[in-house]
Amino acid sequence: MSDRTSVESVSSTQPRQNTKSDSTTPLGGGTPAPAASPKRASRVRPADAIFRGLSTGSAIFIMVILAGVALFLIVQGMPAIVANWQSNPELNDGFTSAFDSFWAYVGPLLFGTLWSAAIALVLGAPIGIGIALFISHYAPRRLAGLLGYVVDLLAAVPSVVFGLWGIIVIRPFLLPLSDWLNTYLGWIPIFGGQVTTTGSTILAGAVVLAVMILPIITSISREIFLQTPRLHEEAALALGATRWEMVRLAVFPYAKSGIVSATLLGLGRALGETMAIAMIISPAVIVSFLVVTEGQNSQTIAANIALNFPIASTLQRQALIGTGLLLFVVSLAVNMIARSIVSRGSSKTGGKKKARPKPLVVPTGDATSTLTRDLVADKNTAAGPEGASA
Amino acid sequence: MKFKNVATAGAILVASAIALSGCASSTPEATASATPSAAAVDYSSLSGTITAGGSSAQAAWTTAFTAQAKGVTINYDKSQGSGGGVTNWTAGSYDFAGSDSPLTKDQQTAATLCGPNGAINLPIYLDGVAIVYNLAGVDKLNLSAETLAKIFSLAITTWNDPAIAAENPDAKLPATPITTVTRSDGSGTTKTFTNFLSQTAKDVWTYPADSAWPIAGTSAQKGTSGIVQAVGAGDGTIGYADHSAIGELKAASVSVKGKDFVAFSPEAVTSAFEAAASTTDTGIKGDLAQTVDFTAISGTEAYPIPLVSYGILCTTYKDAKQKELTTAYLGWIGSDVGQKVAAKNAGAAQIPEKLLTEITASLALVK
Repeated sequence: MSDRTSVESVSSTQPRQNTKSDSTTPLGGGTPAPAASPKRASRVRPADAIFRGLSTGSAIFIMVILAGVALFLIVQGMPAIVANWQSNPELNDGFTSAFDSFWAYVGPLLFGTLWSAAIALVLGAPIGIGIALFISHYAPRRLAGLLGYVVDLLAAVPSVVFGLWGIIVIRPFLLPLSDWLNTYLGWIPIFGGQVTTTGSTILAGAVVLAVMILPIITSISREIFLQTPRLHEEAALALGATRWEMVRLAVFPYAKSGIVSATLLGLGRALGETMAIAMIISPAVIVSFLVVTEGQNSQTIAANIALNFPIASTLQRQALIGTGLLLFVVSLAVNMIARSIVSRGSSKTGGKKKARPKPLVVPTGDATSTLTRDLVADKNTAAGPEGASA
Repeated sequence: MKFKNVATAGAILVASAIALSGCASSTPEATASATPSAAAVDYSSLSGTITAGGSSAQAAWTTAFTAQAKGVTINYDKSQGSGGGVTNWTAGSYDFAGSDSPLTKDQQTAATLCGPNGAINLPIYLDGVAIVYNLAGVDKLNLSAETLAKIFSLAITTWNDPAIAAENPDAKLPATPITTVTRSDGSGTTKTFTNFLSQTAKDVWTYPADSAWPIAGTSAQKGTSGIVQAVGAGDGTIGYADHSAIGELKAASVSVKGKDFVAFSPEAVTSAFEAAASTTDTGIKGDLAQTVDFTAISGTEAYPIPLVSYGILCTTYKDAKQKELTTAYLGWIGSDVGQKVAAKNAGAAQIPEKLLTEITASLALVK
């Protein structure tokens, strides 16, 4: 009984999880609602109808907006996408002049968008997850609260400020590192090329991007880590696992899907970032993997739009909107993948307890740990029905 | 999302512009209050709001004008850039547009809001494109148009290149690689500079004049402030920027022909502009769009890269009150006093007097 309440108290941080467990285990908190509902149903109050209408309206409204944005992008972008880029005089002028077709133009931009976001993710995701783990499992309670608050505050910093910070602080800060990477690791293709002198590299941009995606990765991972069943954690500890082994055997397997979705949502944020990138990186519309050069940084879609929109002619503007359409599609795809992973993960952990994901890392040759894992798994299968019947 | 981005772009430009003009902003009122009698026209009876936007250079006058025309509010959005200014003006949102290049034929055709008589370009702001650099141990640098074209087309890659050394016999040039810093966003400064290169160094610079930088491989920065920041931060950097915004950076002396290198000064810009600019015949009465022939600039008194910025307005206004306000404001800018204010606030050069007289005549034609 005490086990269940502790699990409940932890998981109460997330309402979605709550409703899931309601369906499987009849909990004290869930019972009053069905009992009271027949009474309420007999009297329909106007406030109910109004609120229902408002919330339904809001839900429809957001769909209409999304569809409207998609429609706007398609209608506005189409003329440039289907235009003949080789012969059209408007497109043969200015920033679109060097490209033979819309796809030749958007290709490098799309690559740059994904490349910068990927570097940011490689740099930011481990740190974000580390912070989340510290907050949920290592930090003293008071510090954890403060730290969580500070990380969330990071999300409130405007990207222009991040951009200025990137130009004034991060660029010069990374210069020695860029030099070092170029000198000693220049044989690795991505660190090659003519090394930067001003620091205006995709590396500097990605470092700032990594900081910008920290809050979203941290806050989602933290929530997931906090939902790890206390029973699993205590079982692991009881079997002699250290704190790290407990995290590895009980927390990570449970939170795997949550971590993936947090990372993908961070990726979505990184893909659409505009101002900081536009300010920090010295861009070129080319496909380049180099990260410490001045003149060979792949431009991103969002920054390209921001930089060229003011001087674009009508058709060029439509070309930029066309690139925006592609960014929209990519971001939407990333977010949908993230959501589907979340929902698949939660149905696994919340619904069918037996189909628990395997631990991420299976230690070999460590008898205690293997034993722990097996026992935790056994305990887990046993705990499900037991908890339900209690 | 796009609008948010444009808005943020606006925000930073405004923020940086405020920061840049922070020290200058105390002077306009002083200037204005010191010379109210010099202004022949009394603006105090005017009231209303002028909405305009475009080239960031033209924000220099608003405070000084509203100081003497107390009833007038001027909303000049300098975050738009020249292109955005013209677009918004064509859409009818602005009373006039500030732009670093005159209307193209297409833009003139698109400006249907002006009626059959079209729109006119008035050259109201004159400055120079400065060649800024940062190179340890070199405080004075001479560069000819041809060498500049080689540097900016990335044909020359180190500072001790013979072409640079030949023009700077006294300087100790290190073997530092050259980092050329250009604009990543579209800009009237870029257009003027590429125009200069394409006219004066035809053999080396084969690209047309354009507001977007044509060559990949440079360090491309957002905005004049981005260039100034990047040039200042690196060693061996060189870039181009509107002279009024270069701050503490060193600027090279420039020559068209390879001799008589001239450093920037407002007077040198004015005299170069007098020598090189001529009014383009666009067929519209009162239009003062200028064609600049950079090859005509020579001598030790003329700085070779003048940068001119236009006020673009309709010849026919639908609203008589807006017409009165706009022509009063632009007329004041095109007066001797207005030009002095720009010189004081932004370090700009003065438009030649002959042209100022023509501006007044053109404004009188506006209905």
